[in-house]
Amino acid sequence: MTSAIVAVLLLLGSSAVATAADPAQLARGKYIFGATGGCGCHTEPKGVVNAGGRKFDGPFGTVYASNITPDTKTGIGGWTDEQIITAIRLGRRPNGERILPVHPFTSFNGMAEDDLTALVAFLRSVPPANRTNTPKKISIPMFESVFLPAWLITFASKETPPPAAPVSGVARGEYLVRAVGHCGECHTPRSAVTMAVDNSRLLAGNSKKTGPEGQAAPNITPDKGTGIGDWTEEQIATYLGTGNRPDGDVAGGLMGESIQGTLAGYRDMTQADRQAIARYLKSIPAVKNKIE
Amino acid sequence: MLRQAPLHLSIMIIVLVAATATACTTGSAPRMVGTGDVVADRQRVMKLQGEQMTDIQNKIKADNIEGIATNAEVLAITSMQITSLFPEGSLTDKSNAKPEIWVRWGEFEATAKNMTIWSERLRDAAKNKDQKAVADVLKDYGRATCVSCHDTFRKPLPRS
Repeated sequence: MTSAIVAVLLLLGSSAVATAADPAQLARGKYIFGATGGCGCHTEPKGVVNAGGRKFDGPFGTVYASNITPDTKTGIGGWTDEQIITAIRLGRRPNGERILPVHPFTSFNGMAEDDLTALVAFLRSVPPANRTNTPKKISIPMFESVFLPAWLITFASKETPPPAAPVSGVARGEYLVRAVGHCGECHTPRSAVTMAVDNSRLLAGNSKKTGPEGQAAPNITPDKGTGIGDWTEEQIATYLGTGNRPDGDVAGGLMGESIQGTLAGYRDMTQADRQAIARYLKSIPAVKNKIE
Repeated sequence: MLRQAPLHLSIMIIVLVAATATACTTGSAPRMVGTGDVVADRQRVMKLQGEQMTDIQNKIKADNIEGIATNAEVLAITSMQITSLFPEGSLTDKSNAKPEIWVRWGEFEATAKNMTIWSERLRDAAKNKDQKAVADVLKDYGRATCVSCHDTFRKPLPRS
């Protein structure tokens, strides 16, 4: 009797941790993975996909990206689907630790449940890698207990998830830009002091001082002088699919990495989705903000 | 007289060897014929290369695969000129080049050579009207050539 109960409990436990995904679910998950830029933050340059370790220096200290492969000892293989979705959407590990700074959960919170479920299925299908996470080195005292909760309440407004992911038009573009692609994390101006995002100047760019990994992120509002107002929708869509700019130059740096992706990237989005993004970018307010 | 002749000859040989050795170790190729303003010349070449990339995209849309061969050949030939356009001492305030070029000259040379190889591959695929081969090359062309050089050897440009 006892052994039968144990067997049932084990069966229930294992099904909560990993369920076999169907091919359509995996394909959707891979597509969403690509639309995030291939979760490139979690892969070191020329490193093992999703194995973590990439270093991020910031005003709060240094953090290292986590291993998000399905390795059961060092990755997320032992987490339930719900725990993985909580981490993506709310920035919390199963043990309660906040995955901050850097993890853009405020944007990812805007992802639809179906897309997140599919993404989780895909993450579980990536080869596991044994790589222990490197602890973060935070320079601010009482960071987790006092500073971070106060910062989150004051500065971190989250995107609102839709009941279902929009499928076309400007709404689709907005969803891909603000949530899945989390474009604002790099392209929306941040305060140099608090690193809070200023959504009143959505996508108006960051200098090297406040940009991602010390790189400037251009103004991608439709301002003609300082943004991409002179780009056509077709040129924007082509850029996202190939990295080719209208002047013939090619996207490099972090944007180049996001377009290329890892197992998938922005370039793997459909023409329709890239056009939807372009349409959305042309619809937002033009903000004059010259990025040097 | 007979003793002086070998001495003068020896001095001439030493000077010639020294001059040749200096030329060989400066890490730059003989300068290409241009306007004399090498920074302006190389920026013209880069602009021309960018125009080829744009034209290639337009030809893809117009289904003119064979026409891409001309652009690819321009890219191949101009890439062969790259090292001659970056002589030592040509880093000015008008230039976006990084000093790493002359510190890692071998790598810079290899990157330029790589562009030639990729461009010739593209040219040959286009001449054969092989749409799939052209697409395969173009899928990674930008990253393998332009980006692999720019990310290391060019300062980030102010962008809009």
